[in-house]
Amino acid sequence: MLALKKFLDRSLAAVCVVLFALLVVIVVWQVFARQVISDPSTWSEEAARYTFVWLGFFASALVFSERGHIAVDFVVRKLPGLVQRVIAVLVQALIIAFALIGLVWGGLRAAQGAWDTNLTALPTQIGVMYLVMPITGVLITVYALYHVVAVLRGAELAVAPTDDAEAI
Amino acid sequence: GGAGTAGGDGGSGTTMRLALNQTEEHPSYTALENFGERFSETTGGRWAIDVFPNETLGAQQEALQLVGDGTVDMAIVSGTQLENLNEDFLVFNLPEVFDSVEHQMSVVHDEKIVGDLYASLEESNGVTVLGGLTQGSRSIYTTSGPVETPADLAGQKLRVQESDLHVAMAEAMGASATPMAFGELYTGLQSGVVDAAENNEVSYFTQKHFEVAPYWSSTNHLVGLDYLVVNTDRLAEMSQEDRAALDAEWTAAHEEHTELWASATEDAIAEAEAGGATFSEVDEEAFSAALEPLADQFIESDTQQTLFDAARAAAE
Amino acid sequence: MEPASLAGLILLVGIALMIALSVPIAVAIGLSAIFATVALLGFEGATLASSQRMFTGINSFPLLAIPFFVLAGVLMNNGGIAGRLIDAAKVLVGRTPGSLAQTNVVANAMFGAVSGAAVAAAAAVGTVMEPRQRKEGYDRAFSAAVNAASAPAGMLIPPSNTFIVYSLVSSTSIAALFMAGVGPGLVWTAACMLVVLLYVRKHPELRKTDRVQLRQGLVVLWKAVPSLLMIVIVIGGILSGFFTATESAAIAVVYCLVLGFAYRMLKVSELPRMLLDAGRTTAIVMLLVGVSSALSWVMSFARIPELISEGMLGVTDNSTIILIMMMVILLLVGTFMDPTPAILIFTPIFLPIVAEFGISPIHFGTMIVYNLCVGVITPPVGNVLFVSARVAGLRLEPVIAKIVPFLVALIGGLFVVVFVPELSTWLPTQMGLVD
Ligand code: NA
Ligand code: NA
Repeated sequence: MLALKKFLDRSLAAVCVVLFALLVVIVVWQVFARQVISDPSTWSEEAARYTFVWLGFFASALVFSERGHIAVDFVVRKLPGLVQRVIAVLVQALIIAFALIGLVWGGLRAAQGAWDTNLTALPTQIGVMYLVMPITGVLITVYALYHVVAVLRGAELAVAPTDDAEAI
Repeated sequence: GGAGTAGGDGGSGTTMRLALNQTEEHPSYTALENFGERFSETTGGRWAIDVFPNETLGAQQEALQLVGDGTVDMAIVSGTQLENLNEDFLVFNLPEVFDSVEHQMSVVHDEKIVGDLYASLEESNGVTVLGGLTQGSRSIYTTSGPVETPADLAGQKLRVQESDLHVAMAEAMGASATPMAFGELYTGLQSGVVDAAENNEVSYFTQKHFEVAPYWSSTNHLVGLDYLVVNTDRLAEMSQEDRAALDAEWTAAHEEHTELWASATEDAIAEAEAGGATFSEVDEEAFSAALEPLADQFIESDTQQTLFDAARAAAE
Repeated sequence: MEPASLAGLILLVGIALMIALSVPIAVAIGLSAIFATVALLGFEGATLASSQRMFTGINSFPLLAIPFFVLAGVLMNNGGIAGRLIDAAKVLVGRTPGSLAQTNVVANAMFGAVSGAAVAAAAAVGTVMEPRQRKEGYDRAFSAAVNAASAPAGMLIPPSNTFIVYSLVSSTSIAALFMAGVGPGLVWTAACMLVVLLYVRKHPELRKTDRVQLRQGLVVLWKAVPSLLMIVIVIGGILSGFFTATESAAIAVVYCLVLGFAYRMLKVSELPRMLLDAGRTTAIVMLLVGVSSALSWVMSFARIPELISEGMLGVTDNSTIILIMMMVILLLVGTFMDPTPAILIFTPIFLPIVAEFGISPIHFGTMIVYNLCVGVITPPVGNVLFVSARVAGLRLEPVIAKIVPFLVALIGGLFVVVFVPELSTWLPTQMGLVD
């Protein structure tokens, strides 16, 4: 399972780096096209928005892999070790519920509903863009299952060590 | 199903939620609120309509999808949204297809012309189009000075909505088409990211664009249109009598809206002028001539051509 | 129970309980929003509506400024900027008593002018300043408190990711908000400098000043100019019409790349790691924005903001009392919640109420951001406080004791921000960004 996690981490990281670099290029192109060559781009805003959405969801899955989303753990830290472990498993179960209901099922419903709806500037459909949600949902579920096993085995602490994660 | 029981009105009927992108001050809100009240009265409280303004239920694209799903019962959506589902709707989004608001309203509520079109999304998307509310005749406004002919727009960055048609339209009128989010437009005009924009008088005033782009040139290149879409299953639940009431009240609603729109337009012009805007006429023939080829360029199917011809025939 | 009340109850209990159980805040908000929507619409409708909101909440061009400003900050941190800014700050305030602590405060404000976040400033400036202050005999807990207290000014001084989030939920102009943040940001910095002044009065051994030769001082300032030029590019670019706020952020990234390579501080091989760093921070915010969008949808659907508004206006129609009530609520919320989720949750509820009193959304924006910035340096959850303690190698308790006087001064500053609207609105009005 560790091997699978590492493979997913590396692949996701690579995808995020590429999407982010692409995002910079698209928006810089938008400025260049309008201000330097006076031929305003008609597709760049839409392309940038959807690249951003995909980047946001994928990078978000990667943060679940690291248990890095902001959480408030000062209450749980005061509890006995065994209770902490029970809560840690419960937390991952709730993450799975969110991923499966909100991202996988809801994402598929949203994709289906907008399957025929064309984007205005790009040659694809909004439904296709929505597919990032179920894909992310599956990834987050895999990561959460990994953390459940790791916490039960004692390979991971029940309360993740504090890091500098902040919502800005 | 999305409809709840109407608690507030004391009845035991069904409340339909209507998603609207405009504010409470907009003519569309007033007309739709009155529409709901009258419909509730004529059906003796069996039905009510709860209008949610300000995009609280979602922007038009999402609202349309929610109506198809039955989560929301009704929505006001633009022609572009419907065009994304069925390209035949493109015809009514073309420049120069309508000569005036009156012409537009007569066409989009003529059962013989639009019957098939309005039913075309029932099977595939679960929505029925009831009709349209005009969004007024659109013209160009600029930061630097009035425009008389397409040549005056040469080199000017004209903000358009992000669609092939609007880009082509801006370019046909001689400008450099610049897609930009509507929310960024005020600052964009003020700072000079763009030099010009196009809209109706009401938005021109309410969005305060006249402060930063005071030169309004009445190109009247396009008459804007929003549609009322309703969940098809919800309509089917209505008794024949209630459905007839809905249709009658809707007719009254879009007629009231057209009147409200006309007076809102007059007020907007007066207030914008008081605020320093100047309104000037353009060489309409020159603009019409520049825009005429667009219909040929964008119309691809026989159905579209038939709709276009019918709309133009109604103008004479 | 009425569906609307049930939905409200699910939101309140669900979010509070899950957050207390250390569920990631985004998941707590997302799941509660979905369950509340299920209570109103049933499972099928709820999953569609909530998921759609999560997606479209992020699908926004103005929001795109955030990843760019975050990336620019990461590039700057790796590009040797903190050292240059600290040197420049030392030249500016070296003659004031307690000069090292004052330098820390001003360096954080200057760092704030080139980056959109506070944790990065606290880490970068604190790491350099703490050993220097220790050598001159400063109490270590005090210097960690100085660093923590002054870092959040960067969230008020433009560019500011926090204001971008607020601009999104309040539909106000980013350019106007950026300008509005300047005054309150300076108030924040001044409050910190005042506390340092009072502290060194009691500690005469710290009154040492650093006199810098004019010539040497000019060289140091000159070296900081390219870094500080970033704010000119961003603000100047927006105001001159060369680009929109989002575009300016992308150009800032390019500028930081150019600067980093010119200083020979950046390597191409390190760029992927930096992109990933910035991507992570962005993702944390994006998920919060997405789920909060689902949350505000279900609140509107159940007409909850109207109910809360009627409730508050039922208690009193005195605008001063209502503003104070709001500020107290936000201060309490801020003790355990980051600014972003708090802004996303409370703006849609409070803004319509203050609008009734004629308070401009720009002014309310500086109030809510300033207020929630106080929370990032208070226990139990205060990232900037934690990071400052950590880079000083200290436990939290002694630093908390030393930060109390700063909190008092900063809350005093909050009163000024709330009750002197001109402090926020004057600059954007002068620049013609608001009517
Ligand atoms: Na800043
Ligand atoms: Na706190």
